[in-house]
Amino acid sequence: MAALLIDHGVGSELPAQLGLGSGEAAARSTLRAQVAQLDRLLSAAACEAFPDRLDLPVLPARGPRLQSLGELELLRDALIGSLRQAREALATRELERTAARELLEQMLLDPAKYRRLRIAQSELGVGGCGVWSVMPRLGPMGRLMGWWRVKLSSGCPLAA
Amino acid sequence: MSGGLGAEFPGLRADWLCCQCRNHRCDSGVGERLARLASRFSGRQAIELRQQQVPAAYRSFFRQVGIDPDQHPTPIEQAVLGRLLSGGNLPQDRISDGLLLALLETSVPVVAFDAAAVSSPIEIRAAERGEVVAGLGVEPGTLLLASAEQPLCQLFSPPAPPLSAGLESERLLLVAVIVPGVSAIASDEALTIAAAAISGG
Repeated sequence: MAALLIDHGVGSELPAQLGLGSGEAAARSTLRAQVAQLDRLLSAAACEAFPDRLDLPVLPARGPRLQSLGELELLRDALIGSLRQAREALATRELERTAARELLEQMLLDPAKYRRLRIAQSELGVGGCGVWSVMPRLGPMGRLMGWWRVKLSSGCPLAA
Repeated sequence: MSGGLGAEFPGLRADWLCCQCRNHRCDSGVGERLARLASRFSGRQAIELRQQQVPAAYRSFFRQVGIDPDQHPTPIEQAVLGRLLSGGNLPQDRISDGLLLALLETSVPVVAFDAAAVSSPIEIRAAERGEVVAGLGVEPGTLLLASAEQPLCQLFSPPAPPLSAGLESERLLLVAVIVPGVSAIASDEALTIAAAAISGG
């Protein structure tokens, strides 16, 4: 069936009649730019956090509508708070990962000292479902003899 | 207030294109393209999408007009989330498939109106006191898509019958909402893809 295009319009850009003092217009423009920049930084933080999810506060929403200067300021401040929270969460996660990596190094050096300890790949910030665990070599015999080793499980279960 | 929109958001506008739809059954070619697009998105890509230019522009605009895009995702993020939850882009009907195809290809949302009920030009403006959209009163200042005769729908909300395109609609008015930071090429591409998919051209 042939396309029949009978009209094509490009909306003219909306008329600029803000009717505000240049000071307020400049303030609004600055706040909008800050909001856009903060959203880009939050997006980058969300991507960095993946596959974890950042639990950020829900911002009050009353849109879509033109925001007042006060609302834009509140939004900007809320986004700064969210960004600070996101960065703290990422920093905490990195500290936990560093600690887990150091613990794994210790486990590999002296398995007998860390018997039955398990560290998941996700705790190390590595993809996949593998788990590093300290297990006795040759089962009960190894446990009695003190033959401990670190083993990495084979990974994610196959899809059913 | 509507006059201030242009100064507040330079580049914000609605573009439109008319097309015909004589056959409302799903098109197999469009279905194949949707299936191919479905495999383009994994969980990581769905999250990283927000850093691309066009989706980021819609996210910023959502924030600037008071919508939290993490609670009410932008149309492209909503579509990708829907694909992840449903496991694929399931065909619905020719109009819905055409609009989804345009959205996934360009990240620009396109809505379809019945051209028998809605005529161009289309504009974006703020609601006035006492205005009614889809039978419900809207708060003054709410951003709307509107024709010269009537308000059509809230910005980024789907239009409701009888204005929305349905299975009886033969002539459609496709409308793309373009926000600051999105190029005219993306708008043209979205409207052309949707019109071609819907009219079968």
